[in-house]
Amino acid sequence: MRDADVIVLGGGLVGSAIAYGLIRLGKRVLVLDEGDVALRASRGNFGLVWVQGKGLGMPAYADWARYSADVWPAFSTELIERTGIDMNYRKTGGFDICLSERDLANRVATIDKLRAQQGDKGYDCEVVDRERLDNMVPGLGPEVIGGTYCPHDGHVSPLRLLKALHRAIGAAYRPNSTVSALQASGGGFAITAGGMVHSAPRIVLAAGLGNLGLCAMLGFKLPVRPQRGQILVTERLPAFLDYPVSGVRQTEEGTVMLGSSREEVGYDTATTVDVMQAIARRATRMFPRLAHARVVRAWGALRILAPDEFPIYQTVPGHEDAVIATCHSGVSLAGAHALRFAQFVADGQLPEHFSAFHSRRFDVSRTA
Amino acid sequence: MQTHDIVVIGAGPAGLAAATTAAGFGLSVLLIDDQPAPGGQIYRNVERAEALGHAAGLGADYRRGASLTTALRASGVIYLPGWQVWQIEPEGRLFANADGRTEEIGWRRLVIAIGALERAVPIPGWTLPGVMTVGAAQILLKTGGVLPDEDVWIAGSGPLPLLYAAQVIAAGGRIGGFIDTRRSANRWRALAHLPGALRNWPYLQKGIATTRILRRAGIPRITEVDAVEAVGAERLTSVRWRQRGVWHEQKAGGLLLHEGVVPHVHMTMSLGCTHDWDPVQRCFRPRLDDWGRTDTRGVIVAGDAGGIFGARAAEIRGKLAALGAAAELGKVPLQERDRQAAAWRRELAAHVAIRPFLDHLFAPPPSLLAPADDVVLCRCEGVTAGQIREAVDLGCLGPNQAKSFTRAGMGPCQGRICGLSVTTTIAAARGVSSAEIGFYRVRPPLKPLTLGEVAALLRDDVPT
Repeated sequence: MRDADVIVLGGGLVGSAIAYGLIRLGKRVLVLDEGDVALRASRGNFGLVWVQGKGLGMPAYADWARYSADVWPAFSTELIERTGIDMNYRKTGGFDICLSERDLANRVATIDKLRAQQGDKGYDCEVVDRERLDNMVPGLGPEVIGGTYCPHDGHVSPLRLLKALHRAIGAAYRPNSTVSALQASGGGFAITAGGMVHSAPRIVLAAGLGNLGLCAMLGFKLPVRPQRGQILVTERLPAFLDYPVSGVRQTEEGTVMLGSSREEVGYDTATTVDVMQAIARRATRMFPRLAHARVVRAWGALRILAPDEFPIYQTVPGHEDAVIATCHSGVSLAGAHALRFAQFVADGQLPEHFSAFHSRRFDVSRTA
Repeated sequence: MQTHDIVVIGAGPAGLAAATTAAGFGLSVLLIDDQPAPGGQIYRNVERAEALGHAAGLGADYRRGASLTTALRASGVIYLPGWQVWQIEPEGRLFANADGRTEEIGWRRLVIAIGALERAVPIPGWTLPGVMTVGAAQILLKTGGVLPDEDVWIAGSGPLPLLYAAQVIAAGGRIGGFIDTRRSANRWRALAHLPGALRNWPYLQKGIATTRILRRAGIPRITEVDAVEAVGAERLTSVRWRQRGVWHEQKAGGLLLHEGVVPHVHMTMSLGCTHDWDPVQRCFRPRLDDWGRTDTRGVIVAGDAGGIFGARAAEIRGKLAALGAAAELGKVPLQERDRQAAAWRRELAAHVAIRPFLDHLFAPPPSLLAPADDVVLCRCEGVTAGQIREAVDLGCLGPNQAKSFTRAGMGPCQGRICGLSVTTTIAAARGVSSAEIGFYRVRPPLKPLTLGEVAALLRDDVPT
């Protein structure tokens, strides 16, 4: 007998959101996850539900990010009802704050291009000068020039989100189940994990960087790489910042998260003093008051990036029932993964317009 | 950045001995310590205490520290008191700060000699004002000569509560009483190790003498206790204990807890050194070879940070660490190293031999390893044992997953206090050994520093 209708490989935010969505649809699901220590982008990330600036060069992604932000309120409300865990989602709108004229000019150019790209659909993101910024974000440093504001942005506790998803998944969540073998078997898949063999007619590969190894087991080379981001977090401070700002976010508990670097260092999750310094400098230039806040922790986590940094959604070539979901925006896209992508998985078919997310886009550029 | 042959972190007996010994071999040595004066916890403030004349009351063992600090002052070691090491990089660099200033320091060999921490004692009410550790009370005694009020009680076990009580009495003070949580079963387990302990007869004699001091002073000692609770609303008002199944309550103005000390492993954990679980002492300690070397290149541990063997052993381990490093750096021929080491190891053996006896005699009570659901484990974030168990029910296998679901270990102390309690609580809940559960992943900064300090770090040419 099959263990489940769908087995989701990966218990981070992407896998858990899809699994939750499948459970909502009445599917029998298993979620296989690793042990206490693993490369966990879901536990190392910043907690933004973010739209602005995303999808330049791929309209399908700009649409998908916006769609997810649109369904996030309903997703959040339902998850709270089911689990009793409030993950403190706040759709406040968000700012990208610029510290130089050049930064601002680059930022404006990006937004203009996105607006042109999205055409009739419109693109809700406006340039905000220093004076208007001061009305919304008090305590900015003298070097702040201005920024951009998008009303669809928001933030959430990513750890509470993960906890809520795990509670919603319940007994279907199986930790200590690192996959050691994966093969097609009798019209489905047989998976050896944590000393057990599980089988299902359909699987979802949602293991972050672990997808590289899983895809290899099915003979497919997935074009993704790790990219390190370092984050600092301060002690709890009195509330001073209502909005998430690119690189600065005050959590519900009062701690302030500061990020985040982009470093090509392979699988190294260490922190480095020069990057910590750069993050601290930028943050204290934006908000001078932060200079007195004590840093209690710093960490490095790995983004999962395709060459163009957009998600990859497709089936494994030759295995129509092995669905790949690989992206670095597990928080932002959680709503879309749960409420929409899970439906695609249940239907056994990705929609036509999702062909934009197929990794064959990289083959095309190579031959062009 | 200046690079030294040896950088020693910690100016207790191990660090002092390592630094002065290494300097004696002609190595360039920097000794860095977060305290304002040398001595560590055990010889805290010993230079000033000697000068002020109140060292005598703290005993001959304490005054031994003065010989170590005197040696330091004459050694040519560069000594940086009051500096906090907040980041160590395995490639031979560390960062320390003091008064808002950060220094980047290079090392060829690093000796970590940061000693021990008192084991957390998560009993009901342990976070109430008025409850503190015996070690903290002893710091007040050593630095300011502060005596406890007479209605302060001690609960726990181990050599330190007895020693502290005797020091208080010698200084003209007294305490309300001593609630001894040592289980009688421990005594039988310890007896099997008595022959080893007899090799360090002076230590045993001191223990017996200390017990006698308490008795002569008429201080009640309550034994056969298997549960203790701190009681109070805003602050401690009384202490309760269960003796042979019967609860007793006593008004108390203060309660001092102690259940032994454990190696301070945050630095070696942050460096990714391999650690082993000690099933008797119930703690992690770094895996070391005969010279105190970890499996991280160039990183050596001396003294109690590598396993609890006490101050005298720490001193010898510090010397051995320096000797091994000096040989690695070409200052001592191997033959000479081994000849010298043999003599020091003979001396060390007597101090080590008593440990199995003490470890078993003062093994922490099982109730501490898996407290009741409503007991707080992580006091920084107010996370209870019950919340940790709930995380386990959600599928969290270890402290790192439990941390992200509960915030345990995310506060200012970064798991120093709750780390072992969280590990043992998860181990008990899952029915597996603590060795398998593991410890928090320790992340920088090792000591909190302000964002302004991080921003002002080093060079001005760092891109922003």
